[in-house]
Amino acid sequence: FRYTRNLVDSGNGKFNLMILCWGEGHGSSIHDHTDSHCFMKILQGNLKETLFEWPEKKGNGEMTKKSERVLRENQCAYINDSIGLHRVENISHTETAVSLHLYSPPFDSCNTFDQRTGHKHKVKMTFYSQFGERTVC
Amino acid sequence: LPAGLSQWFPALEVLDVSGTGLAELGAELLALPRLHTLLAKNNRLGGPGSLPKGLGQAPLGRSLRVLNLSGNRFAEVPPALLGLRGLQSLSLGGNRLHGIPPDIQELRSLEFLYLGGNFITAIPPELANLPSLSYLVLCDNKIQSIPPQLAQLHSLRSLSLHNNLLTYLPREILNLVHLEELSLRGNPLVVRFVRDLTYNPPSLQELAGRTIKTRNVPYAPSDLPENLVRYLSLASNCPNPKCGGVYFDSCVRQIKFVDFCGKYRLPLMHYLCSPECSSPCSSASQSSTSQSESDSEDEASVAARRMQKVLLG
Repeated sequence: FRYTRNLVDSGNGKFNLMILCWGEGHGSSIHDHTDSHCFMKILQGNLKETLFEWPEKKGNGEMTKKSERVLRENQCAYINDSIGLHRVENISHTETAVSLHLYSPPFDSCNTFDQRTGHKHKVKMTFYSQFGERTVC
Repeated sequence: LPAGLSQWFPALEVLDVSGTGLAELGAELLALPRLHTLLAKNNRLGGPGSLPKGLGQAPLGRSLRVLNLSGNRFAEVPPALLGLRGLQSLSLGGNRLHGIPPDIQELRSLEFLYLGGNFITAIPPELANLPSLSYLVLCDNKIQSIPPQLAQLHSLRSLSLHNNLLTYLPREILNLVHLEELSLRGNPLVVRFVRDLTYNPPSLQELAGRTIKTRNVPYAPSDLPENLVRYLSLASNCPNPKCGGVYFDSCVRQIKFVDFCGKYRLPLMHYLCSPECSSPCSSASQSSTSQSESDSEDEASVAARRMQKVLLG
């Protein structure tokens, strides 16, 4: 009932390659990328990417939006922590979306941020499936 | 669609006519007895007669399980589809709906309801009478409040409320024990502690309803007009454990900060049946911004921790 992360290749421990499947209206939280490179390519549908500034140390106000754009099919995007934070969403109420993500080095936890306050919260990232097999936690 | 459709393809189970510019789905569909999935997204449906008359009684009405009418021009939920008692999945995303009819409760088998991307301003409490509803999407609308009765949706696993006009949530939302996902971003949720005590004196109907409920006055559906039987079933319990009272529409509203383990502050609305009732977790001093501890705070904090795991940023 939310977007799924499906691991396709773990690149000998050097990278994670995964496919994300987004239902109508599905979106991610605002998150960082734990000092890794993150490449994203749209395979189907469209995804909106909203970039945010890192909140102030004692952040207690609304987070600052830097920019937003809609990525179309076959378009690529790149982000890392020095560029900022982002939220990715399928804003369509009629179409699903599929994206391909490459993270190097691989990471299994990151921080999510509350847009209203800038407070961050560490989360463990889980896979819906790995190499074609459903992952049950 | 061709008139002979049900004669040529009597075994048809899935029909996708999305993106074909159709302005109406006609009677040629009614006699398809095996059709369980009908996808008609991104068309020009929405005017009167978009759906065939007699849909609920036709063979199609009994077989249909999945209906996708997203990306059309419906300004209201077409009454013709409210007779689909076997329908499990309905999508009307990306239309022009301004409201949800109370008769949505007729869709007794509904498990999945997608209404994102419309102009809906309010949710009827009757939505809570759908016994199997597990996935409810109301994102990208103009909803200002959630009726507390929605907490009666015991099978609800996923609730999408992002990008609406919510300033608070009813405290009962913590009662949705099977809820696994909740999205709230993009709502003007009150961040700072607010105490808002406005009280409209109850109507005679409300007072009578309260007396019947609190004194356990017996009644049967044959004793009362149907609308009053329904009214009595919408009673909500006063959260003050010492009160044991109920209320219908008239209540004192108090916005309560529930601190999810210090990481997420969510304004929850406490409904109390009268100004004399006090919330089980009310603060001693008005200027305080932190929560005071009390016995029933434990129950609230267990529910709050569970809710924290559920919140999607």
